[in-house]
Amino acid sequence: MTPFLAYALAFLVWPGLLVAAPLAWFELWLMRKALAKLQGRRGPPLFQPFFDWVKLMGKRTVIPEGVPRAAFVALPVIALASIAAALVVMPVPGNPAPRLPGDVVLLLYLLEVPVLCEVLAGYVGRSVYGEVGAMREALMSLAYNLPFLASVIAMAEWAGSFDLRTLAAAPFGLVHVVAGAAFLLALPARLKSNPFSIANAEHEIVAGGLIEYSGPLLGLFELAHALEIVVLTELFVILFVPMPAAPLAALVVWVAVGLALLMGLTLLAATTARLRLAQAFRFYWVWGGAMSVAALAAGLAR
Amino acid sequence: MAFTIPVGPYHPALEEPFKVSATCDGEIMRSAEIQVGFSFRGIELLAQKRNWTEAITLVERVCGICSNTHAMTFCMAAEKIAGITVPKRAQYVRTIVAELERLHSHLLWAGVGAEDIGFHSLFMEVYQAREKVMDLLEAITGNRVNYGMNRIGGINRDIPDPAIHRGALDALKGALTDVVVPAFTQNPTARARLIGIGPLSREQAIEWAVVGPVARASGVDMDVRRDEPYLVYDELDFRPSLRNDCDVFARVVVRVEEMLESIRLIEAALEKMPAGPIAATEGWAEIPPGETTVRIEAPRGEVLYHVVSDGGETPARVKIRTPSFVNIPAIEAMVPGQQLADLAIIQASVDPCISCTDR
Repeated sequence: MTPFLAYALAFLVWPGLLVAAPLAWFELWLMRKALAKLQGRRGPPLFQPFFDWVKLMGKRTVIPEGVPRAAFVALPVIALASIAAALVVMPVPGNPAPRLPGDVVLLLYLLEVPVLCEVLAGYVGRSVYGEVGAMREALMSLAYNLPFLASVIAMAEWAGSFDLRTLAAAPFGLVHVVAGAAFLLALPARLKSNPFSIANAEHEIVAGGLIEYSGPLLGLFELAHALEIVVLTELFVILFVPMPAAPLAALVVWVAVGLALLMGLTLLAATTARLRLAQAFRFYWVWGGAMSVAALAAGLAR
Repeated sequence: MAFTIPVGPYHPALEEPFKVSATCDGEIMRSAEIQVGFSFRGIELLAQKRNWTEAITLVERVCGICSNTHAMTFCMAAEKIAGITVPKRAQYVRTIVAELERLHSHLLWAGVGAEDIGFHSLFMEVYQAREKVMDLLEAITGNRVNYGMNRIGGINRDIPDPAIHRGALDALKGALTDVVVPAFTQNPTARARLIGIGPLSREQAIEWAVVGPVARASGVDMDVRRDEPYLVYDELDFRPSLRNDCDVFARVVVRVEEMLESIRLIEAALEKMPAGPIAATEGWAEIPPGETTVRIEAPRGEVLYHVVSDGGETPARVKIRTPSFVNIPAIEAMVPGQQLADLAIIQASVDPCISCTDR
């Protein structure tokens, strides 16, 4: 298989779009169903996230007057492409893509691109809600990236490498626990779920940065966001959970950890009010900062 | 960089159309401007073109939440002009329906408030509790929104067996004390969003002439139910709630205390209700020439009806002053220096009822 074909296969099929998108919808459904159960509702049927997306894709796209058309159309495409590319570098079993040295750096960059796209989308859309949403998104990324990046860097420190497979195979130590906790701290804000649903706070700024998006373009953003959940849960398992050697046991651990992560996020979202930007920022720079220092220290103490 | 962010007339944070334009520097709001009148209906004029009985149905539709307040106050004004004394049993039933309405209004507000601080689960819990009140209102009046309970001289439907409603009230009290109250007053994220927000000092409260829970949360001790008792409040030993913290949290606490007090009032009224007729008159009421003013405490505060009769088939003038009409402008006083994120809950904290305002 030529490298080009291998990359195309990884991007489009496994671990890329064709497999990851249904997985993302399933994870979304799990979270929505669990949230509904916690709130005493029935919750959506299994295919609802998929139906939602199909409905968006079938709608007309309205591009507001006076926005730069090319940028307006390109942003969701870039967001989706970069998150699908992030899936390509995931060292999951059966990934046909060739091994890249230093793929951690590439992955971190690719994970930031959708955030950047949403910030730009907010400014491009010429809506005051969009601008406030974009500003909040940008500030939140400054906040949660402190523990998020520190957790990944601590693991790289521990493994002495910027290669995801080496990180995954690193011997289990205290750093896995501390850096894993720092990662978990950043997760709800990364996924914009409560209490950090600040950039998409409907009752404050309507749809935030995505306010002018509709139809297929919004669908692409939604899909990118859903895939982000898949990437981040996969990344958590790869970086911080020691895998048993037997494939079946590994699969069980994988599913169990993923499920626990999603349920934890849902429980947190169900039991909290949305914080203010300043409160969230303070939380991440105080507690996230402390966790970052602890994680980096644990990474050094080999 | 200063910019103006419009909330409304159509916005996820609002139930009804009105508009708050907040001028902000970054996330800090400098000032706000209120606009109302998006759904003006001219009910005061229409009331002059309906006969006295039709006008009850009309004013009941001033507000979809405190519908009973308006029908009841209008009837009380007509009774005052005509010198009709309403039987005791009817007064008890009116009190029970009025307090149930206060419960469902405050619960509706609590749900909207929960949504505005991004607490969706609490919204769900509150609305489940509210459903219990709606069921109770339906069991008593036969309706869920416009109850049609009042007529000039009394009420249209009796509560034949008061004891059967005790179970529903106990369930409601349980839902309030176990879930709704702790979620608002003890959840750390909810407290972080409510305490110290949207200040309205006692002086400002008097200057802006706010009424109801908003005034009582700013230390202004006023409640028509105690100051000028109507119906049977003086027989039920009514106690108003008062807070001096002047913020959104105080407004939440005042409403929470009022809900618990309402349940107590309803329980007491169901128990003490005397036997007797439910209306003083049969058939159409004749209203002689005269003019009067009636004040009662609606869920959102003092409501005032000024009714004039020239002895004809229709009222000569019906002037309605609703609590939201005075409470909504006070949002302008609460906004300066606050964060944009709090605009939704600040405007919601006065419980703006737009259909009352645009009557």
